[in-house]
Amino acid sequence: MSLEELAFLILAVVALATGTAALLVRELVHTILWIAVFFVDLSAIYFLLEAPFLGVLQLGVYAGAVTVLLLFGIMVTRKRIFSREAATGIGPVPLALAMVTFLFLISAVGEFSQSEQPIRSYDPSYLSANLFGPNGPWLLLLGLIMLASVSGAIYLVREGREP
Amino acid sequence: MTTLALTGFLALSSGLLAIGIFGILTRRNFILILIAIEIGMNAAILNFVYFAAFSGATAGLNGQSIAVVLIGFAATEVAVGLAIVLALNRLKGTINVAQATDLRN
Repeated sequence: MSLEELAFLILAVVALATGTAALLVRELVHTILWIAVFFVDLSAIYFLLEAPFLGVLQLGVYAGAVTVLLLFGIMVTRKRIFSREAATGIGPVPLALAMVTFLFLISAVGEFSQSEQPIRSYDPSYLSANLFGPNGPWLLLLGLIMLASVSGAIYLVREGREP
Repeated sequence: MTTLALTGFLALSSGLLAIGIFGILTRRNFILILIAIEIGMNAAILNFVYFAAFSGATAGLNGQSIAVVLIGFAATEVAVGLAIVLALNRLKGTINVAQATDLRN
């Protein structure tokens, strides 16, 4: 087993474990800590896949901004921050649906080549040229949707609004 | 040059999507549901990055560009989700989605 394979194996196990732990622990602040580890782990996978720009973006946007936003969401909606969630039973239906999804997707994996392939790395300057060139309309659409959604969010939380 | 097999990555994102679906269906707290959606969304973004790394130059650059745009979309979605959390908390005093039943009648 090569060093890259070992690194991927560790990162994959950590991603699955922290993702599951984030949803199963009963203290919400611990959830945020697990999800922060999950995001950092995914950014490490991006670096392994030689996509450093995406790795840094993942660190900044997810591990930084989204984590802090979620933490603020918890802070302003709870009287005591370290309070436990009421235990909710895990029914058989959600578990079965998740398993069916996983088995359905994993059954398609056999269609792809099992052999090891070289990973292609891209210079970030080419990526930015592509992002603002042929994929410019997508970026414009993202900007418009962000503007609309931030306006909507401000409308939702503004003071003095009739419920 | 790094060499890896694609199948392991596909298995990882399948597992992450399954975890996300499981979380959306079982949790009742709105913030936990948002987190579960984020895990599922990250599985999709990871797929774009894998296929970008294992395909030709033009397709790969397009895949990474779409991944950048999707990360932006996901951040926007969290912002709107948290605004809904705050509105729900002001209206109901709780963020338990089982109690948000105003539109049922």
